[in-house]
Amino acid sequence: MEYWKDQHEPITAFLKLFEKAKEDPELSEGLKKVNQLIWFDYTEDGSDCSFHVDCRNGQVVAKQGKPSEEPDLIMSLSADDAHRSWSNKLNPVMAITRKKIRVKGSATGLLKLAPKLKKVALIYEQALNELNFLDKILK
Amino acid sequence: MKFPSIGFEPFFSWVNRTRILYAPSVRKELAFELSQLGGSNVVLFTDKGVSKAGISQKIVEQISNSELKLAGIFDNIQQDARMTNINDGAEYYRSCGADCMVVVGGGSVMDTAKAVNILIGTGLDDFKPLAEQAGLWEDAKPLPPHIAFPTTAGTGCEVTNAMVVLDVESKSKLSVTHPYCNSDIAMLDPELTLSLPPKITAFTGMDALTHAIEGVSSVGAEPIADALGLHAIRLISKYLPIAVNEPENIEARGNMLIASTMAAMCFCNTMTGATHATAHALGALHGIPHGMANAIMLPLVMEFNIEECPERYAVIADALGLQVHEDEISTAASKSVQAIRELKELIGLTETLRDYGVKNDPEHFGPLVELAASDGQISYNPRYVEENDLLRLFNQAI
Ligand SMILES: [Fe+2]
Repeated sequence: MEYWKDQHEPITAFLKLFEKAKEDPELSEGLKKVNQLIWFDYTEDGSDCSFHVDCRNGQVVAKQGKPSEEPDLIMSLSADDAHRSWSNKLNPVMAITRKKIRVKGSATGLLKLAPKLKKVALIYEQALNELNFLDKILK
Repeated sequence: MKFPSIGFEPFFSWVNRTRILYAPSVRKELAFELSQLGGSNVVLFTDKGVSKAGISQKIVEQISNSELKLAGIFDNIQQDARMTNINDGAEYYRSCGADCMVVVGGGSVMDTAKAVNILIGTGLDDFKPLAEQAGLWEDAKPLPPHIAFPTTAGTGCEVTNAMVVLDVESKSKLSVTHPYCNSDIAMLDPELTLSLPPKITAFTGMDALTHAIEGVSSVGAEPIADALGLHAIRLISKYLPIAVNEPENIEARGNMLIASTMAAMCFCNTMTGATHATAHALGALHGIPHGMANAIMLPLVMEFNIEECPERYAVIADALGLQVHEDEISTAASKSVQAIRELKELIGLTETLRDYGVKNDPEHFGPLVELAASDGQISYNPRYVEENDLLRLFNQAI
């Protein structure tokens, strides 16, 4: 991995991102509209390297690991590409065409949030700052 | 103005899989080319309008006068590629025992046929779950033989590796990509476009122009696509007024077909921007034809974008044939917007959103803004578009 020391670092960063994104009314409303159980699968970088977001039934809950229920959507990619994507340096649609992101299930809801990645990237930068992951911030 | 420095992302890719054959009457090559691809039992995809105008008949004649067998004609395609049409089309393809497709029509017909071919190639019968996946690149394999004859000089769907599918239930347009869905061969036969009425010629031509302008100004713009987009702009600004005013002018019709294909080879690599995002919303919610919606929104979006990348709009102005060599970059850039307004006037496109019943009230603007803000194409707009900006743009278009 280019950006991470071990498989736990990226999950810590991404969970922090979701914790903060939930506080933003626009992103939190957007996620609730997706109304899916989503598994972000980075297990190509380690068996514990994944987290899931349950945004069904008007809530947004992000937790480490694979969900116990069958997910509605699985996004599989590397932890480095996930870092680029949350930093708005990797366009998700372009990444799908280059098989950097593999999609299983309905992605239309989540892709509707792709135009918000610029905002997400700002929140992600704050999250990295708070975690003292300053060397990981992509400029 | 000297040719300005124009930046682009350090990494880009450019692709065009489709072979292109151009000539007036190039349809005469159909039987030979299709047999080269391994096809023999043809199903023809078209729509009632194209059939009524006698255009699909010209292709049927080519099939009948050859070794090819016509397995059937599917002409039930409505405006915008729709899920039910796609599934019915695949069922028809299978029921008539076809092994290849010939597609004659505009964007809706070509996009429907692309989705049908994906179902045929993958052995599936419902396109909805595939459409929801948005990108169909995992394990994608080449599809059965597919030749397309575009009958409008507009969408460029014959070469793009994406299709826009209308989901009638959710009233939204889904964009789906597949590496092999575009035609194996696009046959550009301008004789098939001679009977296109001036109004449709005008707005489909504006769709092609929007592809080129948004392709060249998108955040994904790069030099190879620039070359295609800028030359498409030159051809369209010269030949679109002629094609509208002299429908039988084969030189103008031919150049428009070539330009629309080139514009598509540009934008399918760079994507588009806020004009397409707003046009998709206007099409899905108010049924405004895609090219018309683009024509209405294009100058407004250009005006909004100019400050972000004036150098790109300056080269667009140059491609539009304007005298900008003595101008500063910013002056040249703003001239491009005025030129688009003049071109629209020249081809008789004076419509606004009001003509389509769109009202300046929250009931109409709320859903339009929401849909445009979540449209995939808006991410490629050179200037970041907030919901307030969208509201203002729709307001200006009334
Ligand atoms: Fe278009």
